[in-house]
Amino acid sequence: MSEDAVDVAIIGAGPAGATIAWSLAETRMKIVCLEQGDWMNPAEYPTTRMDWEMRRFGDYSLSPNSRGLDSDYPINDDDSPIKISNYNAVGGSTVLYAAHYPRFHPSDFRVKSLDGVGEDWPIDYATLEPYYAQNDEIMGVAGLAGDPAYPPKDVPLPPVPLGRLGRALGRGFNELGWHWWHSDSAIATREHGGRAPCINLGPCIMGCAQGAKGSADVTYWPLATRQGVEVRTRARVSRITVDENGLANGVVYFDAEGAERRLRAEIVIVACNGVGTPRLLLNSACEQFPDGLANRSGLVGRNFMFHPYAMVNGLFDDPLEGYKGPAGCGIISQEFYETDADRDFLRGYTFETLRGMTPVSTALWAMGDGRLPWGAGHHRTFEQLFDRTAGLVAICEDLPEEHNRVTLDPDLTDRHGIPSPKIDYTLSDNSRRMLDHAVARGVEVLRAAGARETFADAPLPPAGWHLMGTARMGLDPETSVVDSWGRCHDVRNLFVVDGSIFVTSAGVNPTNTIQALSLYIGDKIKKNLTNLLD
Amino acid sequence: MSDTRGLTEAQQETLTAVLDCLIPPDPATGKPGAGELGLAAYVTERLGQAVSALVPGLTALDTRATSSGSGRFAELAPEHRSETLEAYAADDPGFLPGLLFHVYCGYYQQAEVLEGLGMEGRPPHPKGYELGPDDPSLLDPVRARGAVYRRA
Repeated sequence: MSEDAVDVAIIGAGPAGATIAWSLAETRMKIVCLEQGDWMNPAEYPTTRMDWEMRRFGDYSLSPNSRGLDSDYPINDDDSPIKISNYNAVGGSTVLYAAHYPRFHPSDFRVKSLDGVGEDWPIDYATLEPYYAQNDEIMGVAGLAGDPAYPPKDVPLPPVPLGRLGRALGRGFNELGWHWWHSDSAIATREHGGRAPCINLGPCIMGCAQGAKGSADVTYWPLATRQGVEVRTRARVSRITVDENGLANGVVYFDAEGAERRLRAEIVIVACNGVGTPRLLLNSACEQFPDGLANRSGLVGRNFMFHPYAMVNGLFDDPLEGYKGPAGCGIISQEFYETDADRDFLRGYTFETLRGMTPVSTALWAMGDGRLPWGAGHHRTFEQLFDRTAGLVAICEDLPEEHNRVTLDPDLTDRHGIPSPKIDYTLSDNSRRMLDHAVARGVEVLRAAGARETFADAPLPPAGWHLMGTARMGLDPETSVVDSWGRCHDVRNLFVVDGSIFVTSAGVNPTNTIQALSLYIGDKIKKNLTNLLD
Repeated sequence: MSDTRGLTEAQQETLTAVLDCLIPPDPATGKPGAGELGLAAYVTERLGQAVSALVPGLTALDTRATSSGSGRFAELAPEHRSETLEAYAADDPGFLPGLLFHVYCGYYQQAEVLEGLGMEGRPPHPKGYELGPDDPSLLDPVRARGAVYRRA
């Protein structure tokens, strides 16, 4: 087996891997990032072609099982009502994310103390605040300062325009006296960091052909590679290896030609997301770590969290120009974010508004709903539906439960023969009650905004794009996998920097916090570099 | 669009007539029918091997049309095509759903159709879209409530 050696091996070139690569680049250590996918070419993204809407059923599906690309690995999610969504490429799932980019709140780090559920984080909002700010600048976050749902913070770029649709929904929130604000969005609303400004293409979740969306491949990676970090693409890591002292000493991976290679490293950083990371740690079981690497607590893969989503759509009388503008970014409402003793659930959720359905989406939804006839009445009905829809999703805080977990499937493997992950997940009663509440309130606000009809779906099956908790942070090695700066309790030179280390999920999209944590952990590694192994 | 996956010429004609029946032309907006747009080739390409499942239905439609004494399905007057198709779909409920999925997907990505909907007949990129200015005063009631986050 051929091999080479570096100082730092990072596994995964998604947002977490990109961010810590940039953070560590200034050390001038030799850093190599191994990524199972490839670089993306924005000129080939779907919105450059007439058939763009169809691509979400094929190579731009959010589901790795549907895409089945060489860069993907199959995931057994049969035993979960929520299915996994991800993307494997340089930039990771930010290639297809909506770019909603809220921060956690101060209360999110202290849920045990405040509400008696989950666990407190070993760090707090104040610790992460400077890293959030730094990350907002590099990713290019658009929004509006002064959101009363957050402590004061700057926002680098002007907000994504609401459009006619967003203004209608804003008036609906006002009618009810509920909180709403321009969402924080990792979208360059003016030229930023060499990225062209957003031109309101619409489907950010199919890649941004304009390059305005802050995906990690167009933000951190150009900065990191200019400083000498190497990204080795189509390189799938099968296991992390350890020496006789129980320290990580490198990885074994399959290269683009399928040959098995070894990369020796002084420090190994895992950034494979909340499913890929436990998969790799469990696949790295060895004599010293028979139950999986860094798994003496038995918690690798446990406490798996999604964000259960509710989606409510409304049908309006007038055109809303809903096919224009970033599909998922507009308004955020945190009226129901914090625990309220008068409700029948703990913790809460965020509402995020959606733009309207595009032509193909309208036709397929209306067909499935039985409201679009074929034949003579087709056109008239379609015109009464198209550009008349607006919606919102509720992102519900999931609570950590040990029985929700990622394990290795006994039969399923990827194309290299590496065991695939299996998801076992059940929705908690707290989440069900929260979803019910969100649907009822969603209907209320859409009606207030002028919807003549509403329809809802909860939990939303394909919404498993936030993957958290499977190698969680903590001070006690008995009840956590990594310490307060992402270092594995059991392996001192092994770090985890993705959503796996989340202690709780909060009720917001996780990417900003994942990247702020990566910057924080990067700083901690740099400060402790000389005595890392002591 | 010329991929017809082994359908005979007669079956292609019948399929085209079925498509025009499913989405007929709309003179009011200038939208063409799905058949006249040439979606038969698109549909058969998307169906791939499964296109063979269409053949019994296409054959049955021709048989029913012929037995009514009006020639093949494609030769029926539009209103009679709809009646015939509706009657057949009731007897074979699996015939239309899979077909409609591909017809709708193919139809609503055509430039002529988008123009008929009042949009520009182009993909989103590179031109993008303009959105008008927002009204900052909409947020005044939210500001007036003051901070709503929980101090921790």
